Amino acid sequence: MERNNIKTDTLKIDTSKYTVKKTNKVLKVLIFAGLIIWAFINLFPIYWMLTFSFKNNEEIYGGNVAGLPSELRWENYEDALWGKNIGTASKDDTGFQLPKLIRFFINSLIVTVATIAISLVAALMATFAMTRIKWRFSKTMNALFMLGITIPMHASLLPVYRTMSNLGILNTYTSLILPYSAFSLSMAILICTGFMDDIPKELDEAACIDGCNLGGIFFKVIVPLMKPALSTIGIYTFLQCWNELMFANQFMATGDKITLPVGIQQLSAGQSMTQWGPIGAALVIATFPTLLVYIFLSKRIQDSFIAGAVKG
Amino acid sequence: MKRILACLLVLTMVFSLAACDKKDSNDNKATNAPANTTTDAPAASTTNDGEYVSSILQNAVELTLWDIAVEGDGNRPAYDAAMADLKAKYPNVKIVETVTENEAYKTKIKAAVGANELPDIFFTWAGAFLGDFVDAGKVHCLDDVLKKYVDNGELPEAMLGNSTYNGKHYGVPTTMNVVGLFANMDILASVGYDHIPATKEELVDCCDKLVAKGITPFVCAGKETWCVTEYLEPIMEKTIGATELNDIFRNGKTWNNEGIKTSVATLQEYIDKGYFDPNGIALSNDEAKAKFMQGQCAFYQNGTWNCGDFSNPENVKFNVSVGEFPVMDSSKSKAGQLIGGPSDTIAVSEGPNAAAAAEYAVEFGRLICHYGYLKGSGLPAWTPWGDLSEVSPLMKTVTEICNKANGYVLFGDNAMSAEIANIYLEYVALVYGKEIDGEGFVNGLVKEIG
Amino acid sequence: MIRSFPVTPFGGAGKTFSIDWEGIYMKRKSKSHSLAIFLFLLPALILFVGLLIAPIIMSLYYSFFDWNGLKALDPSEDFLGFGNYTILFGERIQFGKALINSLILAALSVFVQLPVSLALALALGKKIKGERVFLSIYFMPVLISTVVIGQLWLKIYNPEYGILNTFLRAIGVLEGDIRWLGEKNLALGAVFAPTLWQYVGYHMLLLYAGVKSVSPELREAAKLDGATDGQVNRFVVIPSIKPIIKVSVIFAVTGSLKSFDLIYVLTNGGPMKATEVPSIIMIRELFLKNKYGVGSAIAVLLILLCFFFAILIGAIFKERDIYGKK
Repeated sequence: MERNNIKTDTLKIDTSKYTVKKTNKVLKVLIFAGLIIWAFINLFPIYWMLTFSFKNNEEIYGGNVAGLPSELRWENYEDALWGKNIGTASKDDTGFQLPKLIRFFINSLIVTVATIAISLVAALMATFAMTRIKWRFSKTMNALFMLGITIPMHASLLPVYRTMSNLGILNTYTSLILPYSAFSLSMAILICTGFMDDIPKELDEAACIDGCNLGGIFFKVIVPLMKPALSTIGIYTFLQCWNELMFANQFMATGDKITLPVGIQQLSAGQSMTQWGPIGAALVIATFPTLLVYIFLSKRIQDSFIAGAVKG
Repeated sequence: MKRILACLLVLTMVFSLAACDKKDSNDNKATNAPANTTTDAPAASTTNDGEYVSSILQNAVELTLWDIAVEGDGNRPAYDAAMADLKAKYPNVKIVETVTENEAYKTKIKAAVGANELPDIFFTWAGAFLGDFVDAGKVHCLDDVLKKYVDNGELPEAMLGNSTYNGKHYGVPTTMNVVGLFANMDILASVGYDHIPATKEELVDCCDKLVAKGITPFVCAGKETWCVTEYLEPIMEKTIGATELNDIFRNGKTWNNEGIKTSVATLQEYIDKGYFDPNGIALSNDEAKAKFMQGQCAFYQNGTWNCGDFSNPENVKFNVSVGEFPVMDSSKSKAGQLIGGPSDTIAVSEGPNAAAAAEYAVEFGRLICHYGYLKGSGLPAWTPWGDLSEVSPLMKTVTEICNKANGYVLFGDNAMSAEIANIYLEYVALVYGKEIDGEGFVNGLVKEIG
Repeated sequence: MIRSFPVTPFGGAGKTFSIDWEGIYMKRKSKSHSLAIFLFLLPALILFVGLLIAPIIMSLYYSFFDWNGLKALDPSEDFLGFGNYTILFGERIQFGKALINSLILAALSVFVQLPVSLALALALGKKIKGERVFLSIYFMPVLISTVVIGQLWLKIYNPEYGILNTFLRAIGVLEGDIRWLGEKNLALGAVFAPTLWQYVGYHMLLLYAGVKSVSPELREAAKLDGATDGQVNRFVVIPSIKPIIKVSVIFAVTGSLKSFDLIYVLTNGGPMKATEVPSIIMIRELFLKNKYGVGSAIAVLLILLCFFFAILIGAIFKERDIYGKK
């Protein structure tokens, strides 16, 4: 991505002749109204999730779909956290019994953070090799990595499963972290390319004059300047991992190591009636930290965008 | 650059190899079996008050178990009780259980078979589902371990029919389920019926009265086609008879059958007459079942696994009873012919722990059946024993129906192989959506299946 | 070796620079150059080749056989050649129809969803009050798991107590029940609405990043030249973020071709195949019908299609940069 660096010449501007058009006030209000409406539409699922976590099945299935719950059924939350049937035989003897949901949450967190770390490192290094060093196949390599976006994850289940099985790492965190990293790689490389292109090559050259080799340039020049990319890659990789069900179900679904989506799926019915109230509670417990973390992160993302803009 | 290309090639080859099936079924997985495990079967039995105690299971062993009894499942209490009993009986046996939801489980278990990652003990459906696994050579034969239970009458041989392949037994039946016609007796009373319609005439009359009163007789979830088969298959069986239907489902008899055409026509006629909730086509089973439980329709025909939920006064605030679908054509069929049979099965994979797992699995299945019956999550495939006072009235009614049964046809989507079953289901969906009639149904199936 | 570099203005004679730089590099480290490249690429390559490329090759291999995924594959016995591919387009599976459905989704994605995302990104890019809050809110649906979104929309579309029908009845437009997910003609649209809605935020964030990185001086310059906000957007911002728009379009199209989760929860391809998309058929063939060959064939086709579209879109978006070079 080449930036169009057009420098404005410093002309003497006769400000009386040129007026900056003020935005139409009406238009501004309309736009703002539109934004608010869209915001409400987007917030509705959260509101809905919150309210149905307090309802029982009767209300959810017809009695009172969209309204506020008739009473605050906190027992839904109790069920979600500690489960009606604690007596599953897969109890490992952990001295401190964390609520199951929290354990699932932590597992998901471990997997996601590790995935973000690995894809970030791999992407940074690969992008550096492809964009900062001139060699014959750099563009081809890039295209190859972009191919990754086209691959439907579901189709790779069995081959990847066999690979994990042959490597003997099934039911460990690694068995999920590796595939997730691989599938996040293309996006991460894409983002890195974008951000890395913004770093002027002259910096490389300056470092080179100072006597750095490639590794030096990488660590001393590029990496510190790629901090904005971190948040962006973080978000998009997070999306890849957090709600992923199919691979998690297959590779890591035993005992304590279950991730959040698998855990929530287990709260739903086998062959009988689903109790949506507790599931709602579980989803609230699962989703709200995510939203909070995102709100926190988004500030940093936005700051990084602004920083990127000023840099130009 | 050439170096990179070469390395790429090597990497690709290496990983293709890794993904290929290097493990064969007898690979040694890490187990905790110490040196003094006896691996010869059958284990000598030490009887305690006539109850069989396995000696293999006296040794410390860790067994992996996969099943679908999630937290909200009707069978979960039975599984828990069974595992608790066995833990007391064999304290050295450790079970590592992985629970997965129904639909996701099908993917999971099949992927495991393909990758040689089957657990020691696993839940499965009998019929073609397990049959495919047996074909692949991944399932341990249970003839030896089951023999004593068959011999002493605890496990009727008939119950093993669906998990017998090439004359050998490969599964332990747990609970059994049939299709039951559940009815809201309060609604029926309001149109003058104090019992579930027992003949075709009564059924039509009752439904007409209900429609006249503005009450929907049946609700059927169109989104999940198996729910439609819960209505269509009893009609088919009560029209052409159990033997004929079994021949079509399992023995390759042709679908070109007048009775089948009539059955489809009957179903569609009932749809036209307004006997079925018109919104049903888009509903999931949960939603349809909820409608019944909220008293919005008179009947709900589905499996007897629902007995547990319907017996719970928290869920259902009206009088509920269960019956058999009436006979449609008494020249070919009669009362006592049911859709269903033992399908829920526990199986054992071929692996280093197979002997111990087999012993555990059989006792496990037996206990699941016992507790399942007590807690109302299924009918007993094994001969019931012990104190049966806890059994709910609904369950008792169904048991009586089963005791008078003279023919069973396993659910279509279990009886037929995966591919054929799916073709069958697709045509059933077309029938429910009124896209094709009986003629079209039969012709299509003949063309695709035979 | 010391060379003196004349100081040149920023962005000036860059061309001359790079040649020299390359020259230095080539002379000083020609051997370790390729080693360094290899090392830097290594982690990504291992992951990528092992877990992405290898499975595709395996899928390609399987797609030529009639295999049920369970028993050992016997190459001689089960070989089908292109048989699986012909089955796909036959009457049984009607893959073509599913493909058209996903192409419709792709078109809607590009021409309906992306403009909304773009509009939001532009609106938010201009220092509006509560910019951060809006940004967070708009991204939320993407973070919520598909199970929730699916169940929510099931409740919205329910013919009897669903929010949509209730609302329509309340304002008098509707009399009875509309079966949004049950009518063949309505189901496709009904299923696409949540799919499109959920990911507006995703694209918006990407585009917003681009909008934000347009240098304020450019905007000011345009404004000084007398442009309205709309014209600023049209002639300055959008052209500057063309590369990002290109990426968004590629994601939108490939995402549509691959989409699965929400459709599975809402209709699972029904009613009567009205909402079937390739991924749904693929999962069914792979894991319900034990037809591993057919499922793999679908995967291969999907990959080829996505690849084709990616290249097509790249070609459409190729533009000349300011120096007139492509």
